[in-house]
Amino acid sequence: MTITQFNIASASWFRPELALTAGILLLFLLDVLVRKQSRYRVAVLTVAALACVGVAAALLAFQPVESRAMFNGMIASDPFATFWKWLFLGAAALTVLIAARSDEFPSPRIGVFYALLLSVVLGMFLMATSLDLLMLYLAIEMVSLPSYAIAGYKPGDRRAAEASLKYVIYGGVASGIMLFGLSYIYGLVGSTNLTALGVRLESLAAPASAGGQLGLRVALMVAVIFVLCGIGYKIAAVPWHMWCPDVYEGAPTPFVAFLSVGPKAAGFALAVRVFYSFLASGGGPEGFARGLADVPWPAVVGVLSAVTMTLGNLSALHQNNLKRLLAYSSISHAGYALMGLAAASQLGVQSVMIYMLVYLVMNLGAFLAVIAIAQATGSETIADCNGLSRRHPLLAVTFAVFLFSLTGLPPLAGFVGKWYLFVAVLSHYAGDGGAWYVTLAVIAALNTAISLYYYVRIIRAMFIEAPAGELVVRPRVSYQIMLGTFSAALLLFGVWWNPLIEWTQASLTFLTRG
Amino acid sequence: MNTQFAIFVFLALATLIGAASVALSRNIFWSAMGLLSCLVGVGGLYVMLSADFVAITQLLVYIGGVLVLILFAIMLTSQIQEISVSNRSVGLVGGYLIFFVVSTLLSFVALWAPWRLTSKEPVANTTVALGDGLLGTWLLPFEIASVLLVATLVGAIVIARKEVKSDS
Repeated sequence: MTITQFNIASASWFRPELALTAGILLLFLLDVLVRKQSRYRVAVLTVAALACVGVAAALLAFQPVESRAMFNGMIASDPFATFWKWLFLGAAALTVLIAARSDEFPSPRIGVFYALLLSVVLGMFLMATSLDLLMLYLAIEMVSLPSYAIAGYKPGDRRAAEASLKYVIYGGVASGIMLFGLSYIYGLVGSTNLTALGVRLESLAAPASAGGQLGLRVALMVAVIFVLCGIGYKIAAVPWHMWCPDVYEGAPTPFVAFLSVGPKAAGFALAVRVFYSFLASGGGPEGFARGLADVPWPAVVGVLSAVTMTLGNLSALHQNNLKRLLAYSSISHAGYALMGLAAASQLGVQSVMIYMLVYLVMNLGAFLAVIAIAQATGSETIADCNGLSRRHPLLAVTFAVFLFSLTGLPPLAGFVGKWYLFVAVLSHYAGDGGAWYVTLAVIAALNTAISLYYYVRIIRAMFIEAPAGELVVRPRVSYQIMLGTFSAALLLFGVWWNPLIEWTQASLTFLTRG
Repeated sequence: MNTQFAIFVFLALATLIGAASVALSRNIFWSAMGLLSCLVGVGGLYVMLSADFVAITQLLVYIGGVLVLILFAIMLTSQIQEISVSNRSVGLVGGYLIFFVVSTLLSFVALWAPWRLTSKEPVANTTVALGDGLLGTWLLPFEIASVLLVATLVGAIVIARKEVKSDS
C-alpha cells in the first residue's frame, strides 16, 4: 500500500476525530450566524455542541476493537485509546451542560467557548493516541493553546488576565523544555516513532570509549527528564504545579472543572504510552521497571508521586478559597494517580484508568457544587458554605458526598479508585525494592488522613456553622439533577465496582512497540 | 581552520550573542535587535545543514514577518522605554547555580553523546521532498497543525477584543 492509500484507509478509523473537527468549524460558523440578541442563542449553541459530542460518541461506539497504527504510525487506534476517548467525551458533554447554565459565559461568547472546548477535546484524543514524538508535541499544544485563551475568558477581569498570562508562560516554558528533550531523542536515535524508539534505543551501538558510554547515559537521562517536564506540567505534578492554583482561581469555573479532569487524564494516558513504549526496555508495562540508561524510572516516578501528594495536601490545608483548595487537592490527586505509574505493572495502568474515571465524576461534582454556591453568594470561600445544610440540604449533602469520595472513604467510588492504586503498589512488597513500595503506600495513607482534614473543614462549615444572614440558595434545576446523578453514581459504583474493573481490564491492550 | 568552520563559528556566535542580548538587555529595542541577530544566525545554520527551504521560511516568516511586527509594536507603543520593571530579579544566587549546573550538563551532553551523524550532502532542492512528506507521511500532523492554528487564532481574537480594565 502506498503512503497515500494508507492515509485514506486510516481516515475510516479516524471518524470520531473528524466529527469533532467538523463540530469545531460548525460551532465557529453558528456563533456568527445565530444573532447575538436572540433569546435562543445559548440553547441553539448548546444543542449544537452536544450534538457534535454525540455524533463523535456514536462513531466511537463503532470503532473496531483491534489495535492498529494509523496515518503511517502517527497515532494508534486501540482499546486503550478508546477507553480514554469515552472519558474525554463524557467530560466534554458534562462541561457543556454545566457551562450552558453558568453565569460566567455571557451569551455572545459562549459559541466560541464551545468550539475551543471541542478543539481541546480533539487535542486530548490525539494525546491519548499519539505514537509519534511530533504528534505527541502537537497534541499537547492542541490541548494547551485553546486552554490559555479560555483561562482569560472573563472580559475586563484582572484575575482572569493574570491566570491566562501565567498559564501561557508556564506552558510555553514547559513545552519548550519538552521539545528540547524530544530533539535529543531524535538526535540519538534518528526516529520519532514511539513504537520504534524502544527497539532502536536498545540496539544503539554502545560507543567504544567510556566517555561515549557516559555521554549516552547522561543524554538519555536529560532527554527523559525534559520530556517528563512536559507531561508533569499537563498533569500538574510537583514541581511543575505552580500555575495550577492561580489559573484555577482566575479561569471560568466550568472550564476549571474540565481542566482539572480532562487534560489531567489525557496527560496520564500520554504518560502510559511514553513510559511503556520507549522507556520500557523489554516491552510492556513490566519492562519499564528495568529502565533506560540504568535509571530506575519507576522509583523516580514514585518519588515524584510522594512529593506531589504531600505538597499538594499540605498547601491545601490553609486555603480559604474553594477553587484554590480544589486546585491543590487536584495536585495531590495527580500524586495518588502517579502511584499507579510507579507500580510499573498491568495492574498499575489499570488502577490509573479506574482512578481517573472515578476522579472525573467526583471532581466535576465538587466544582459543580462550588459553581452553585458561587451563583448564590457571589464568592467562593469556605465561609460561603456556612449553614448550607439548612439553606439547601441537597446541595450540602451531595457536596459532602463528593468531598468524602475525594478523600477515598468507603462506600464511595473514590475508595475503589484508591484501593486499586494501593493494591497495585503493595503487590510489589515481596519483590525488588519492596520496602520502597511499602513506604510509598504509607505516605499515601498519611496523605489521605491529611486530606480528610481540609475536606472536613468544608463539611463542618456546611453542617455545623450557623448561616450568615438570610440568603436564598436555589441552584438551577439542571445543576440539581446533575448533582444528584453524580452522587448516586459515586454511591452505586462504590458498592458495585465490577463494571469499572471489567471495562478497564478489557481496555488494557495497547500498541507499545512495533 | 577552513572557511566553512569559520562561517559556522561566526553564525553560532551571532546566534548566541543575539539570544543573550534578548534576555539581558534592559532596552527593549536592543532586545529586538538581538532577536534579529539570533534569528539570522539560526537561518544561516539551516543553510549550512543543507535545509534550504527551512532557511528561506525562517527568513520570510520570522525575520520578515514576526520581527517586523515586534519592531512595529515597540515603535508604536509610547513610553515603552521608560517602563519601570516591577519584577526585579530575585534569587540571583539560585539562578546562577541552576544556570551553571544546567549549562554544564547540556554542554557535556552536546560534546559526549553519540549523536547520529549523517554524511554531508551538497545543497540540493529539498522543497519537493518536503511537499511530498507533508502530504504523505506527515499528513496528519500537517492537518492537525492547521486546526490548531484556527482554534488558537479565534481564541486570541476573542480575548483580545475587549481591553482588560484595571481594578480601581
